[in-house]
Amino acid sequence: MSEQNDDKMMQAASRLSTEIAPERDLWPGIAEVIEQPPARRWSPMLAQAAGVMLLMAASAGITWYMMQGEDGATTEVVNPDMMFERASFGSRSLGSGFQDARDSLVAELNLELAKLSDEDRATIRTNLTVIHSAINEMNEALEEEPDNVFLQERLLRTYREELLLLRRVGGLTRNVMLRNDI
Amino acid sequence: MAALLTAETSDYSREMATASSEIQNDEATWIAKAQRSDSRAFEALYRLHIDRVYGLCIRMTGNVSEAEDCAQEAFIQAWNKLDKFRGDSAFSTWLHRIAVNAVLGRMRKSKREHDRIMAVAESVPAAVATSDTGELRDLSEAVDRLPEGARHVFVLHAVYGYSHDEAAGMLGIAAGTSKAQLHRARRLLAQQLKQEGFEA
Repeated sequence: MSEQNDDKMMQAASRLSTEIAPERDLWPGIAEVIEQPPARRWSPMLAQAAGVMLLMAASAGITWYMMQGEDGATTEVVNPDMMFERASFGSRSLGSGFQDARDSLVAELNLELAKLSDEDRATIRTNLTVIHSAINEMNEALEEEPDNVFLQERLLRTYREELLLLRRVGGLTRNVMLRNDI
Repeated sequence: MAALLTAETSDYSREMATASSEIQNDEATWIAKAQRSDSRAFEALYRLHIDRVYGLCIRMTGNVSEAEDCAQEAFIQAWNKLDKFRGDSAFSTWLHRIAVNAVLGRMRKSKREHDRIMAVAESVPAAVATSDTGELRDLSEAVDRLPEGARHVFVLHAVYGYSHDEAAGMLGIAAGTSKAQLHRARRLLAQQLKQEGFEA
């Protein structure tokens, strides 16, 4: 490439049109967003606090549940919507080992829950909902502060809490079966 | 005749200067009003700048849909950050910085999504619809086919006239990297255009 051609190319580039009209009017989409009343956004601190509170409530709920006896067996199946997956800082960031274990437990959850009583199933459902809410809150806070180590650790811990709960559901149903066998 | 032409040219220049000054005055007024949450004033700013912002977005992304999203995102971001605009640089430059950030952010997000779903189909950008004709159109299409980093630097530096320091600042890279990317872009463009018999 000669210097002369190079200069010609740069001169030609400077003549390229810099103003290009979009094929459609983009203003309505912009107006729709900016004319909305400002939504009250969660501050990262508030979101952190809410996430921690929810996590504590979930832990307390799981502990309480584990102290209770379990009996009876039913056939109702839990709503699959409970099985959520969060994209922004999802459980996949924990590695394939965790994800495999989780996928396997999630796949078995409905079957396992069907073996429990309505009351026990409702308790587990509530605990899962609390854990998922905590994960959601922390993910939202992490979108604001992706480098927040405290939040990242909390989130990982919450995923582990979820895994623990899923495992415990399996353990509980095995106990139910043993008692029924007896 | 020459005197008449000179007088006419002079009148024309004065008119242009007056028009330009009026636009600048209008722009300053619109900015002040928009900073007080006047969305109609902001719409006037949008109408004034959209072609240049969209032009930058389409040249950087090479994709109509992405460029539309980026341009919208840029104006929404500008509205949210208007109180931070102090007039240290021209409003258009300030908008361009926001638009470049919108493009880079969107491309990072697209890349993450692309990686996540492991899409195998290679996306081939459609030719950008511009008013460029003839050899300029060939050059425009060759620019669209440049790799991302080289394209961004070439567009900001060679097409929009930003210095390497300014382009590097917008792209979040070192000025030396900007120069290296420009060199790469020129080399690739020369190869492409030679194949197509371009005589710039």
